[in-house]
Amino acid sequence: MSSGLCLRVLRGSGSAPAASSGSWSRFLSRSGARRGLSGSNSGTMNVFNREMKKRQKNWAGSLQDGQQYDYLRDEVGSRVADRVYDIARTFPLALDLGGGKGHIAEHLSQVQPVLYPSSEIPTRCVLADEEFLPFKENTFDLVVSSLSLHWINDLPGALKQIHQVLKPDGVFIGAMVGGETLYELRCSLQLAETEREGGFSPHVSPYTAVTDLGNLLGRAGFTMLTVDIDEVQVHYPGIIEVMTDLQGMGESNCAWNRRSLLHRDTILAAAAIYKEMYGSEDGSVPATFEILYMIGWKPHESQAKPAKRGSATASFGDLSKISQPTNSNKS
Amino acid sequence: MSGSNVWSRSREKIRLFPELFAQCTGEAAVYGKCVAATTTGRQELKKDLCAKEFEALKTCFISAVSDTKVQHVLKC
Repeated sequence: MSSGLCLRVLRGSGSAPAASSGSWSRFLSRSGARRGLSGSNSGTMNVFNREMKKRQKNWAGSLQDGQQYDYLRDEVGSRVADRVYDIARTFPLALDLGGGKGHIAEHLSQVQPVLYPSSEIPTRCVLADEEFLPFKENTFDLVVSSLSLHWINDLPGALKQIHQVLKPDGVFIGAMVGGETLYELRCSLQLAETEREGGFSPHVSPYTAVTDLGNLLGRAGFTMLTVDIDEVQVHYPGIIEVMTDLQGMGESNCAWNRRSLLHRDTILAAAAIYKEMYGSEDGSVPATFEILYMIGWKPHESQAKPAKRGSATASFGDLSKISQPTNSNKS
Repeated sequence: MSGSNVWSRSREKIRLFPELFAQCTGEAAVYGKCVAATTTGRQELKKDLCAKEFEALKTCFISAVSDTKVQHVLKC
């Protein structure tokens, strides 16, 4: 069952200026394998209901005033675009996984008006499943992904597929929420449910820890890894606004083990706990988003390799013998 | 799905929540402190540990709701 998340294929025209506006075409990719039987990975996790996530994203996308919920994606998209520009290369063909409204592409076309005088990168939109990429091997120079990897069930498998569709010496730049994202919301709901109902169920999805990310990328075959964390704290009037904004962003819970209802008493209790435990003086409450940025390269002969063992020509012990510049005038 | 359905009605109801909640900050703070104390103190959080404080909060909230309803009726 395809999740239908939008992938955007960005084609950067090096020499000729691009056409006035990118052409769009959507086609459903037929994914033969069923979820849960993907590949030879035993123990593939099936945490998220991808069909539900597709419906939630469609609903969020159909909102009349959906732009007001785009602040987080825009911010992270601009930081991913910064990382793309930090790499001194041009990328003729790029893939944006889970591109949505193209939050990365809009920053890519603005920052470099010289290279792309029309300030538009030709884009093709593909409706496909992130775990079953419908592209040939060695196709893309660059794969970017912003804030969509945290809904993938088989993250190791998806990273392997990204590695496959990249050309050798291609790069994958991703941003995903992880670590301690939304810990305030999680704790408030947990305490409220425990006090009001005697038990609690998970309301915030499980996230990847930053320490695991290096292992995941390494297992997928990426080299020259760079992983760093950014903490974005957004202040809201209260817990209801937090939840409404998350819903508007299309980030509602879709884990199979989610509870379908939240009692009014529990909501009231959680609102009080959130405000008391995490509120600031002006009455607002913070919500933390920990964004993990990752950069990984597909191996290529031109890349720097670690030196062979035993090829050292100098010793660390010689550091102390480096002669100090002598002061002839001692004043 | 257009028109009024249970989800759009619930969403409308929940939109009124922050305003009503803002009228009960005192009771909310007392209840919040009671629960937050269990995270640092030795006492473990059990069901209805802070039931008294919660009842006070709920009463305040319900009276805020009925005040709003009365105001709506008087406006028409």
